[in-house]
Amino acid sequence: MTRKKVTLTYIANDGARKAAFKKRKKGLMKKVSELSTLCGIEACAIIYSRYQAEPEVWPSTLGTRRAIARFKNMSEMDQAKRMVNQQGFIRQRIVKAEEQLKKQLRENREMEICQVMYRALVGQPLQGLTILDLNDLGWMLEKTGKEIEERIKKLKNTALGSEQAVSAEPTADKGSEGDNSEAAPKNNSALDDVVAAEAMQNRPWYMEFLKPCKEGNTANLGQNEPLPSYPCGNLTPPWSNFYFP
Amino acid sequence: MGKKPSLGRQKIVIARIPKKNHLQVTFSKRRSGRFKKASELCTLSGVDVGIIVFSLASKVFSFGHPEVELIIDRFLARHNLPPLDTSAHHQLFEAHRSVNLRELNMILTQVLDELEVERKHGERLDVMRKASQRQCWWEAPVDELGLCELEQLRTSMEEMKMNVEKLTSKLMATLLLQMVCHFQGLILD
Repeated sequence: MTRKKVTLTYIANDGARKAAFKKRKKGLMKKVSELSTLCGIEACAIIYSRYQAEPEVWPSTLGTRRAIARFKNMSEMDQAKRMVNQQGFIRQRIVKAEEQLKKQLRENREMEICQVMYRALVGQPLQGLTILDLNDLGWMLEKTGKEIEERIKKLKNTALGSEQAVSAEPTADKGSEGDNSEAAPKNNSALDDVVAAEAMQNRPWYMEFLKPCKEGNTANLGQNEPLPSYPCGNLTPPWSNFYFP
Repeated sequence: MGKKPSLGRQKIVIARIPKKNHLQVTFSKRRSGRFKKASELCTLSGVDVGIIVFSLASKVFSFGHPEVELIIDRFLARHNLPPLDTSAHHQLFEAHRSVNLRELNMILTQVLDELEVERKHGERLDVMRKASQRQCWWEAPVDELGLCELEQLRTSMEEMKMNVEKLTSKLMATLLLQMVCHFQGLILD
């Protein structure tokens, strides 16, 4: 079966609608049956159509009656708790889709900012970025900086292999306070990621005023002073082409 | 930020699933899928449908169009004629509900389309990122870098951060000034 995108509207064409109905009805019955078998649970399906007087049911008339009886035996609350009609169901789908959209937008944004960061690292000027971009860039630098810091610590840990060496390290690490266990950095970074993700969402209050990318928002200030590139310390080649002059 | 690849479509045996966790997840997903298919059937063909599903914990899930209870009553009463309430009030109610459903479906379609667009965008970004990583060592995930590289990167990033902060402050100041002038201008007018 080809995976075509389905348009969620009533099929006007009678022939097409009838064909779709037959196919989907068959598919639905089959899948309900599969669900029942795979999970060992009881279920029933009732489909009315305008082409037949009797509804089509699964598993059988008797089976359906039994399921209905079991259903009715439950308390009103239990019945209603997970009952849904078209409206409710479509609303649920909308909510879920919107959440996925939000998540995807955020992921895409992170990837884009990351790209900006890496390009800037090799000398691409920061002109043309809006305040929002700069803000997110700062956040990304912070986040990556933390990851680098932790990784450096970890490597130094394993290299030197002693607690004393680590506590003598003057690194400005705000995260774990002298906690040298391997587990701690991991936990911190997990929490940091959550916090950081929210931080990217909760921009400072004034950001809301500056939302749309207007001409005036871009960093025209840079015209007066050349933006520095980022020398990578005093290390000699092989990294000499690390940044463009 | 790497996505965990799902197993995709696999052929499965139609028999009781032995593992408990797997079963619960399967139940959840498939039940949801059935409701979705039932919903599509109703929308596309304009028919009335009811589904009742019991979970292993004896909780019951049901979907029904127009309502689960109506479908049940209709089935039990064995009157297979559609509810023939032709009163004007009822017809208006039905018309209203139709429009409502149409609108909801339109909104859903819109959101799903947007989602699709962003997903494709995400894929493109991912491809670019991977290609870029092959050429630029500093773009590799932090875990793959050596100590020397990391320290180098840290220095560069700290410097960049300072510059970004400087730039942001300058930009903020300019914009605030613009805002103040704008408001002053409004007041004077």
